[in-house]
Amino acid sequence: MTEPIIPQAPEVPEAPAGPYVYDYAASPQRQVVMPKTVPLPSYRTYLAEVKAAAEADEAKWKKMQADFETAKAKAEADGKDAPKPPVRPVPRKDDNDLKAPWPQEAKDADLLLLQELLGAKVEEIFEQAGELTCQLEKGAIYEALQLCRDHEGLRYEMLADQSATHYPAASDFAYSVVYHLTSISRRKRLRLRILVPEGFVPESACSVYPSANWMEREIYDMLGIAFANHPDMTRILCPDDWEGHALRKDYPVVGWGQRDVAFREDRGGMIERIALQKAGQLGINLKQPKAD
Amino acid sequence: MFKNEEMEINLGPQHPSTHGVLRVKLRLDGETITHCKPVIGYLHRGVEKICENQTFFQGQVWTDRMDYCSAVANNLGWAEANEKLFGITVPRRAQYIRTLLNEFNRLASHLIWLATHALDIGAMTVFLYAFREREDILDMNEAFCGSRLTTTAFRIGGLREDMPPGFEKMARKFLAKFPTCLEEYENLLSENRIWKKRTVGVAMLSAEDAIALGVTGPVLRAAGVPYDIRKAFPYAAYAEMDFEVPTQTAADTYARYLVRMAEMRQSARIIQQCLDGMPEGPVMAKIPKILKPEVNEVYHATEAPKGELGYYLVGEKGSTNPYRFHVRAPGFINLQSLPKMAEGGLIADIVAAIGTLDIVLGEIDR
Amino acid sequence: MPTPTLLQSIAITLIQCVLVVLFVFVVVPLTVFAERKVLGHIQQRLGSTRVASGHIGITGWMNRGMWKWGRIPVLSYWRGIPGLLADVLKLILKEDIIPAKADKFVFFIAPALSMVSAVVVFAAISFVPGTFFVFPAWFPGLGGLPVSGGIADINVGLLWILGVASVGVYGIVLAGWASNSKYPLLGGLRSAAQMVSYEVPLAISLLAPVVLTGSLNFGEMAQRMATGTSAWGLVPQVFGFLIYLTCGFAETNRLPFDMPEAENELVAGFHTEYSGMKFGFFYLAEYINMTVVSALAAGFFLGGSWLLPFGLQGLVNQLLPADAWIAGPHAIFFVAKIIFLLFTYIWVRGTIPRYRYDQVMSVAWKYLIPLALVNLLLAAFVRCAV
Repeated sequence: MTEPIIPQAPEVPEAPAGPYVYDYAASPQRQVVMPKTVPLPSYRTYLAEVKAAAEADEAKWKKMQADFETAKAKAEADGKDAPKPPVRPVPRKDDNDLKAPWPQEAKDADLLLLQELLGAKVEEIFEQAGELTCQLEKGAIYEALQLCRDHEGLRYEMLADQSATHYPAASDFAYSVVYHLTSISRRKRLRLRILVPEGFVPESACSVYPSANWMEREIYDMLGIAFANHPDMTRILCPDDWEGHALRKDYPVVGWGQRDVAFREDRGGMIERIALQKAGQLGINLKQPKAD
Repeated sequence: MFKNEEMEINLGPQHPSTHGVLRVKLRLDGETITHCKPVIGYLHRGVEKICENQTFFQGQVWTDRMDYCSAVANNLGWAEANEKLFGITVPRRAQYIRTLLNEFNRLASHLIWLATHALDIGAMTVFLYAFREREDILDMNEAFCGSRLTTTAFRIGGLREDMPPGFEKMARKFLAKFPTCLEEYENLLSENRIWKKRTVGVAMLSAEDAIALGVTGPVLRAAGVPYDIRKAFPYAAYAEMDFEVPTQTAADTYARYLVRMAEMRQSARIIQQCLDGMPEGPVMAKIPKILKPEVNEVYHATEAPKGELGYYLVGEKGSTNPYRFHVRAPGFINLQSLPKMAEGGLIADIVAAIGTLDIVLGEIDR
Repeated sequence: MPTPTLLQSIAITLIQCVLVVLFVFVVVPLTVFAERKVLGHIQQRLGSTRVASGHIGITGWMNRGMWKWGRIPVLSYWRGIPGLLADVLKLILKEDIIPAKADKFVFFIAPALSMVSAVVVFAAISFVPGTFFVFPAWFPGLGGLPVSGGIADINVGLLWILGVASVGVYGIVLAGWASNSKYPLLGGLRSAAQMVSYEVPLAISLLAPVVLTGSLNFGEMAQRMATGTSAWGLVPQVFGFLIYLTCGFAETNRLPFDMPEAENELVAGFHTEYSGMKFGFFYLAEYINMTVVSALAAGFFLGGSWLLPFGLQGLVNQLLPADAWIAGPHAIFFVAKIIFLLFTYIWVRGTIPRYRYDQVMSVAWKYLIPLALVNLLLAAFVRCAV
């Protein structure tokens, strides 16, 4: 297991000291709480979790029974009344309208066809909440997209959405990139997913689906995943000289690229100007640093 | 002595007809556009980041601020995406009221589009006519949820409140007069020679290009592709509604105008059906006060007035915030097709092209 | 009547000038106000009902006065009128910005050029043929002298009008060029092409009256057009009027031909960089031009200072007693026709969208010029045959 990859935040310039200067580096908005789990939906993980949970439950029950036996033996030895036998706890029944959609085994023909066509390049297929997901090997995405568009049995004409998620707590990858394909003629949706490590440059989908152009630029802007063979791999929402990538989990809500002002609430500089003016009236020169 | 030079010109970010802060870099040969590059991001607020730092209930407030002309449609997408994430079944009455409000919102959004598009082309009277009807819809929004523009109309799991008394009467009164209002607009525009000269054959986008560029909504339907998410992947109560998906084949600005006008008629039809067939019952599902999802990712698309509005949500087990929130804003994707539409046209045509795309920069930049 | 001395003629001409300028500067602001009100009613609202800004300053003082005024039921509708004064104040008091890289002299001269050319045209327009009024005998120095209905009785008046009016395009082109900015440049170029193009059908459509009347003098033409043409002359007059009006819209840069200042494409066209009273000059010039175009249309096609348009007056006058009031010319009819045409301008603006630039040009060259030529032929035919 390798170390989780946590990109380093750029260094914050030293803030001038003084009672009226807002310490922006210490601002709670600049503090980042990194996620501890990897919420990557997966049927395989789900099965493993269910199995582990069942085993844990069984172990707990075994322990309760064993505890009861020892307690019973001890009570008999002491001549006291036997303790109540343990009751196996049943999951709490909630009567609300909330039924969590668990991942299910892939039964859809499209997913099975994809797996058949791509073979070992498909890492996982499953269905969840009525959506089809196909996780691919990260190098095979271009081939898969071409297949999805052109294959007679798939015919996904439109790339509806493309997005990525940062998973800093994951060990063997850093981002998932998802492609949401829509088949207008067959009224179906499909999600393709690749997991890419930090620094990996996936193939751009632009030549297959031209709509990926701006979406990939947005991913690059927001998460810093560059795409190969993209016609114009530049930032799209943030200015070109922006520092950092805003949707990474290590990026604070007040951004690194955001201008640091002495009074954070004082965008127009009015408070500072008034402060200097008042200080000037009192004969204090706030602008001049104190001589040692 | 004489030389030919192309002129580079910035349309926007401050310009009367870029609908906000869109900037388009143009290269002009005389008045013909040889190169067009939209530049966006002037209104980027990081809604996705903000929503990731807020709870599922709080996030909805931010969806209002994305496409502020159709806040209800954004709310609906958010609520339904979350319901899909958590697996919540929404009561039927709530579905109907949502559908009702969403269609009213579609009317309001299309009216704004009609108003600004006509104003861009120079017909200033339609602008005020359309705003007159929109005002009634905003009044209804206010009666329903106390807010006119940024509605936050729904809750995850249903509605906070049922329809207020008198709301149905308001809605029926509006429906009774709306067809005559539509006729007024059409009298001014549909057969107007100048309007047709400015729109027929302008800003063409064929069906193949539209699909390749991911363009959805009325722009795609005007190219002859009957793709409407309300029909293709029904949500809310649309499966029970009887309506048509209007299409045109000309794929130009005039066809988009006709499609949107026909869509307004269909919306009125859906509203009528909602009002007539409104079921009784509760409007809120039974859900816990604090929602914590299982590990799950959903992509839920709804048919916003501008096109496919998709919400991509990743839930983290035991967390009250979404782990990842991404918006597939229809305007963002549709705007990609602007160079295709505008290049080769005149500078006046790019104004028509921007108008016909019906963009709202709040949702494009997020 | 006594013959005036040179000094007296000069004094009379000055008085005429003052009267015409007064007329222009009364009609133009009222047109602006009427535009607000008429557009308002076309768009189902009330139009302007208050002065620009809230509670403070001069406009605030005016507003407060007007709320008192507004308690009187009929007057409440007209509360926007002082807004005109406020607008003028605003234009005069506003900071006059000259872009750093502008050609300062040309930038300065351009608005004056378009303003002057617009006003000077009025010299050749006669409001009423012959004597407008006679000074009463007690009037010092000028007692008993007649004042004619126009300032200058130029015998090639039409040429003068067309010539001077086309100088106005220099104002716009120079403004666009001198601003040293891209949108004004586009606006200026557009207007150069557009105005040069539309001068052609405009002049040809005005040739029809010339052919019909055989004169170039404004007063004579107006009189002969109103009372001297045959019944057949009706056809070229009506066609000529429609062509002339269309070209007039284009010449004055009004919707649907407002290319040089197409707001939604070129921000504000040639006057994007102008502010203060320089912008005000362009604004005034546009409205004065509208008045001029309306005056020409009223004079040549709508019967001038006679009641009935298109030469119908001549036909009706045969049935009327010669000294009937409505058989004669009156300045009030002339002014009423101008006002009606100004209303038409506003009406059209509220109703139809804007042409695209290339379509504007094709309308001029492909439709209006051939039509105007056919109309001229028709007029010549009427003149010769009938």
